[in-house]
Parts: sequence; C-alpha cells; structure tokens
Amino acid sequence: MPRRDGPLLARPFRESYEGHAMMVWRGITSMSDEKTGGRKRGSTIEETAAEAAEGAVVEQMTETITEEAAGGDERLAYRGVFQRMLIRPEIGAVIGAIGIWTFFWAVSERFGNYGGMSNILDIASTLGIMAVAVAMLMIGGEFDLSSGAATGALAILTILLVRDVTGEMGGASFSLWIALPLSFAAAMLLGWFNGAMVEKTSLPSFIVTLGSFFILKGMKSGFGKLIVDQVQVGKLDDLKITAEETGVSDRGYGFFNKVFAAEWQRLDHLWEGRDAVYTAAILGGLTLLVVAVYEQNFAENAKKNPLGALLLIGGIVGAVVGVLTLHNTDGSSGDLLGAAIIGISMMVGFFGLALWRYARHQSGGSAGFSGSALWALGIGLALTAAGVFFARWLDSTNEETLLLLVTEQGLRAILFCGLIAGGLVYLAIAASRAGRVSPVSKSIVLLVTAGVLAGLAFFIQAESTSRKFRSEFFSVLLAIAAVVAVWAIVSMFFANRRESDFAAERRGTVLNWLGLALLALGLVVRLMFTNEAEVLAGNPPAKFTVRILWFLGFTAVCSWVLARTKFGSWTFAVGGNKQAARQVGVPAARTKTQLFMLVSGAAWLVGCLLAFNINSIQAGTGNGLEFEYIIAAVVGGTMLTGGYGSTIGAAIGAMIMAMAIPGISFARWNTDWRFVFLGGILLLAVIANNFIKTKAEGART
Amino acid sequence: MSETLLELNDIGKFYGNIIALKGVTTTVEAGQVTCVLGDNGAGKSTFIKILAGVHEHDAGELVFQGEEMNFTSPRQALDRGIAAVYQDLAMVPLMSVWRNFWLGSEPTKGVWPVRWVDKAKSKRIAKEEMAKMGIDIRDTEQPVGTLSGGERQSVAIARAVYFGAKVLILDEPTSALGVKQSGVVLRYILEAAKRGLGVIFITHNPNHAWPVGDRFLILNRGQSMGNFAKEEITIDELTSLMAGGAELEELQSELERAR
Repeated sequence: MPRRDGPLLARPFRESYEGHAMMVWRGITSMSDEKTGGRKRGSTIEETAAEAAEGAVVEQMTETITEEAAGGDERLAYRGVFQRMLIRPEIGAVIGAIGIWTFFWAVSERFGNYGGMSNILDIASTLGIMAVAVAMLMIGGEFDLSSGAATGALAILTILLVRDVTGEMGGASFSLWIALPLSFAAAMLLGWFNGAMVEKTSLPSFIVTLGSFFILKGMKSGFGKLIVDQVQVGKLDDLKITAEETGVSDRGYGFFNKVFAAEWQRLDHLWEGRDAVYTAAILGGLTLLVVAVYEQNFAENAKKNPLGALLLIGGIVGAVVGVLTLHNTDGSSGDLLGAAIIGISMMVGFFGLALWRYARHQSGGSAGFSGSALWALGIGLALTAAGVFFARWLDSTNEETLLLLVTEQGLRAILFCGLIAGGLVYLAIAASRAGRVSPVSKSIVLLVTAGVLAGLAFFIQAESTSRKFRSEFFSVLLAIAAVVAVWAIVSMFFANRRESDFAAERRGTVLNWLGLALLALGLVVRLMFTNEAEVLAGNPPAKFTVRILWFLGFTAVCSWVLARTKFGSWTFAVGGNKQAARQVGVPAARTKTQLFMLVSGAAWLVGCLLAFNINSIQAGTGNGLEFEYIIAAVVGGTMLTGGYGSTIGAAIGAMIMAMAIPGISFARWNTDWRFVFLGGILLLAVIANNFIKTKAEGART
Repeated sequence: MSETLLELNDIGKFYGNIIALKGVTTTVEAGQVTCVLGDNGAGKSTFIKILAGVHEHDAGELVFQGEEMNFTSPRQALDRGIAAVYQDLAMVPLMSVWRNFWLGSEPTKGVWPVRWVDKAKSKRIAKEEMAKMGIDIRDTEQPVGTLSGGERQSVAIARAVYFGAKVLILDEPTSALGVKQSGVVLRYILEAAKRGLGVIFITHNPNHAWPVGDRFLILNRGQSMGNFAKEEITIDELTSLMAGGAELEELQSELERAR
C-alpha cells in the first residue's frame, strides 16, 4: 500500500501497517471459510498448521537474532550532508524560492530593486505570519478555514472598540490600552471555540471552521452595516487627528502606531560604508557556508598538512586583495581583474583548506561511466544547448504578443530559463549517477557542469545589451561555476566521511549559522541604507515597515517552539498519530485547542498590523486568504495529512507567493494570471515534496 | 518466591446483554510472564482494556499489590505502573526514535515560560535504554517509521520499562511479524521479565507463548478455559484448549475424511 496524501486526517502509515496484517489474516481465514463454513474454527486450523513449524525454530532463532541486534543495525547506512539536507521538509521551498526569484529577476528589470523588495516583504509579512501559524496547526492535523476572515474581523473589532460613541460612526470609545487586550481576548475565544467544537464533536475541522468562516464573514458586514452603516470601518488615525485638534489624549495611538506601523525610509539613511560591509558579509557568509559543507562532508585527517594551511592563508589574503581591487576601481577592466583575483584565490584557498584538514582518498578509482549517467549527461547538455539556441534565435526586442499570452521576448526568457534549469537538473542527476561508479567520474561530470555554468555566464554577458537579462547575472553565475569547479577538484582527491562525527557536525552547524547570519547582515545593510551614488542615480524611495520584524520574530519563535519544546513535540504527535499520543499521556485535545488559539492569535496580530497600516478595513478583508495560507504552508513542505512540516518552510512559501504578485506584473503579464501561477506552484510543491520524502525515507512505508 | 503484583478474581465485563468476559482468574508475578491465549473474539482485547484502565470491570475483583482497584482512566493505571503496549504500538511513525521514546513525559530545562526539551539528555537516555533491551539504535534521530516491526516493539517496551512500569501488558506483539522478528520480540519479553517486571503477553499463537510463559490463561468466547502454571500443562493441551478442544478434533477428522 503506497503512501499518498490521501483523505484528510487519514493516518496513512498506520493504515498500511495494519492493513497489511489484516490482508494476510483475511487470506488465511477466507481460504478455510470455504472448506469448513466456519470462520472461527477455520482460522485456528490454518494457523496452527502454519505455525507449528515456526514454533520449533523460534527458540533457536532467538539466540542468533539477539546477537545480530546487539551488534548494531548494519543496514543503517551513514547519511551524507546532502542527503540530510534533502530530508528537511523546507528544502523544496528553498529551491523553489531561488528558482522563482531568479526567473522573475532575469525577466524583469524592476523586480528585485529596492522598491520591489519592500513591496514583496510587506506582502510576505502578513501572509507569512498567518502561514507559519497555519502550518503549525496543519502539523497538528487540523485546518482553520476561518483564519483569513478572522484577520479582518479582529481588525474591525479593534477599530470599533476605539471609535467614538458620538459622531457619524458609532463605537465603544475605549482607549487602545483596553481595546487591544479586549480584541486579543476575542481572538483567543474564537480559537478556543474552533478547537473545542472540533474536539467535542470530533467532526472534521474543515467543516467546523467553514462554519465559523461564514459566521465571521456575515458578522463583519452585518455589524459593519449595523453600527457604522457601511462596509468599510475606519479610521483609526482619527484618534491622532482629534488629539491634535482638541488636545485630548490620543489614547495610546502614538505608542501602538510605532509598535505596529513604524516605518524605515531608506532614502533618509545614507551610509557610504554600506557597500564594503555588504560585499564582505556576502563573500564571508558564502565562504562560511561552503566551509560548513566541507566540514560535514569530508573525513578529517588525523595529521594536519601545514602546506594546506599556508595555501588557505594565501587564498584569504588574495580574496581580500581582490575585493579591494574591485572596490577601488570603476570600469569593466578593473572589475574583471578583481573578479579574476577573487576567483583564483578562492580556488586556492578552498583547496588549501581541504589539503590542510581532510584525508585523501585511498584510491580515487578509475574513471568510468554507466550508461544511465551518460544519458543524463547527454540530456543535460542538449537541454542547455537548446536553451542557448532559443535565446539566440528569438528576438529579444520584440514585444509583440504571441499566442495571446506572451511577447516574443517573454517567451525567449521562459524558454531560456526553463531549458537551462532542466539541463542543470539533468547534469546534477548525471553527477550523482557517475558518483556511484567512482569519485573521479563524478568530478569529471561536475567539471563539465562548471564549464557549462561559466559558458552560460559569458553568454549572458554577451547578451546583456538585451533588455531582458541583467549583467549582474554574469558575476553570480561565474561565482557558482567556480564553487562547483573547486568542489569537483576537491572531491576528486579527498574522501567523504562515512560515519557520524559529533564534533564535526557541531562545527558544521555553527559555521552554517554564522554564514547565514553574515548573509542576512549583508542583505539587510544593503536594503536599509543608501549611498550618495544611488541617490544621484535617482533610485525610487523605498520604505520598510516594522511588520517585517514581526514576521521574522514570529517565525523564529514558532520554529523554536516547534523544534525544541514539549508543545512542539506534542504538535507533531497529535498530527502524526493522535490515538498513540493520547495513549502515552499527551493532552491531545488541549494541544489542538492551543494550536487553534495560536492561529487566531496570529490573526489578531495581522489584524492589528492591517488596522494601523491602512487605517480603514473593508468588510471583505482577509476573506478567501485562508487558502493562500494553506498553500504557503504546503509549498513549505507541510503535509496535508498532518504530522510533518516546517514553519520556516511556510515562511519561505509565503515569500514565494508574495514574489508572484509584483513579479507577474513586472513581467508584464496580467495579474489575473497570478492564480494560475499559485495553483501550478501548489501542485508542483505537493508532487515534489511527496517525491523527496519517499526518496529520503527509503521505500519502507 | 517472587512478589505477586496483580491478582484477578472472577473478573467479568458486560456490554448491555453481551457477555464480553466472564469468570477470569489469574495472577501476575514479578519477574514472570503470564500468557493470555485466545482466538479471535475470545475476549483478549476486553481483558487488556480492563487492566489498562480503558474500561471498568463489572464483576469480580482486581487486586494490584494487595489493594483492590477499579481503574477509570488509562492515566490511573499508568500511574500505578501498569503499562500497555498496544498492537498499533502507540508510536508516531514520522517522529524520531527519541521523541517517541519520551513522548508525553519529555524532560525539560529552563524556567517557565521559557522551557525547552533537554535534547542531549533525552537522546542519551533513549539510546541507553534501548541498549539495555539489547538493541543498538545508531541514530536516535531516525523516524520510527523506518524501523522494522521488532525494533518498534522494542522502543515501546523500553519506554514502558523506563517509565517505571511494574506490569507490562503486550497486546499481540508478534502477530504482524515474521518468524525472525517474532523471535527478537520474544527475547525482549524475557529481558523485561528478567528485570523484575510482571509481563502479560497476549497472543493467539501457542508456539510463541510456550517458550516464554510461566503461566497460561486461556480464553474462549469470553470465558476462561483455565489458568495453568507451566508445569501443569503441555503445549499440545494448550493448543487444543485454545481452539475449544473437542471442536478441533472433530474438525481435524472431518478434514481428513475430505481428503
């Protein structure tokens, strides 16, 4: 019985496990039923006959088996760093996010500039906070269809609580210090109601929360019309205006506006040192990430080679010189020189690192290729060549629409990106297949791949006059090519680790976090600060709102809770096998109710962010968004049937969906196509995640 | 002799007018294995559920360590030290071995509200406890779903033993397993008994019960067919009693004639 994302709330694993036993049973009993006409008696006969022989060997069996068991499970092979990366639930979302980013970035000039970036982050924040909470609920095995409507409802409630009683619009005229806790209590009540209904009635949460969705939807427009006589409820900033006009207290508006809607105007913050910090952080971060992979992948050498350390130091010095060269020159020849210095010193440095720390192969093995590897290599090269061919053949300046949908230049971009991506995937498959023959074969395939990447980089540079590709793509691709080439050479000479080494894992993890932190620092610095050159070039203003911090903080806290606390463990347990969790004493009903309350709490937070940012809330705000939260969670690797998933994945899923909104309009498609994109992404994500998971867990179901 | 942990006298259970269990008497002693044998529908599940606190019994008395009991919830039975390992194992297949081992009783560090699971300690103890059962889990991070049936049983048993079970109830632990795996599980049963637990081993297979059991309780159609110490009975008698004795002989001769 293969595992599938079957009906909601099914427990696929247990079913197949028990199902199998049941099938065997039925086989035995039905056979004898025919002969004796009595199911009960029949089964006994068959059973005793079949197991009499078994019983005789059981005793001697126990002896030999215990010895085997005590000797360790020899079938459990060591998992390499890449395999371990692949079983992370969010890996699909990470790859998808990079791919989609690259695509939109390549086809649109405006995508990914500062304005576009702040736009994406803004959308991703509210979507992401909800997606993270919904992902946790889904891991706990439930859905909440009222989550979208709840964001709007709680925003409206907050506004109604602070509006004046008098005036054209009625309200409760509370201070925000009272209104916010009150609406938060309402949110908790909503979550508790959903959870208690699901638990007490043991109906599917899909139906129960569909009910509360319609109730909320009706209440939003109903109460809106009843109290303020229109479908729009506002305005929150009247508090400030009244305070300024009459001198009464603003009832906490100033404070909470900072909490929920503070802004950072990028153009107001000049910092000339920005680029230096940015370059250093990005290069340093990437280097640390590569070193972390090295540390986790290669077997350490007991005796260190000092020559390697020397080369490493040389490489680092060279890289610094290269960055300085790049920084101090303008113009393309200086850029090229700097890039060349950086590239070469990077290669030397990484090779030195490997020589210094890691053990050599006993023997590299001979180069040989299996048929399947050659096939994959051939397909990969053919696809890449086809991509280049289309890029040459189609006219990059033609903006006429073909086949109703895309312009010729758009088609060119899609074909180029798609074919290249497919080609690279096949090259990766070829490398993995060649690796089964010998490390040398794998390295050869990787070197070919690096060559292809470098070739593409130069091709894109040659084409950079065309408006659809960016020249920055050149340096990024070239850097990736260099990393792949170094990896190929190093893995040809040095042996992979075959058993787990706690100290090395630790170092790798620490380096990983440091690397990611440096990368984040670089990006943040670049996004937050501007410099004179950019101001002169007339960059459009971009502002970042505090909701991005709420998003990051919420994701971080939820991820920590899920991974490290009792509650997180219980969440996985009630979603994975509720019966089992209950049997060992997990308070399943309470855990699920708390998860529903987490979702409605998140809805309250998003409601506050919306209320303070846009001041007036439409009655329809948030309706229908619940499915986007679910899509974001699923794209992030959360299983629809519960028990498996990731909050970081959900956050990245929200980023992917937020990218689609400006991305599609910048690529000059009608924004209605966004939904086609969303649907496609959802299907792709479900299929990819399912595939990755069965691969990673092995065939056993 | 060893201490008597559990005594059942004339236990019965009725669901409305259906007699699910009637007149069941047996004892469970520390360090010994009491096997409960019975065919499908013999009342084995009802028997476990009474002991584990899922159902209350309607007749007879249940004496645990000299004290008469009437469990109303699984938690009560668990607190007294009666742990049941069910057929479906109470495992979450997609969760790691150590999380499953500790599920519901995770050790924590820190002060409220910032309190987290002590991962290093949990992993270490899980590994040690499994090793005591004679199984070496190299990586306690691997999902339970990737373990074999016998290994999964051993996680469940090790967990029950670690959390202070005095009486361990195993519900058909060998029914879904192959010959080799069954052997492994039988060894775990003996291992648990050797560590001083009273084990109740429920099975429909006399060949599995015979090598490990010290006492045998035979159920058929909700009735006790007898409660024997190992010396009082042979495996053949056990088999024929289980299937209802006379019925089986009749069936055998009928089958032979049919040939």
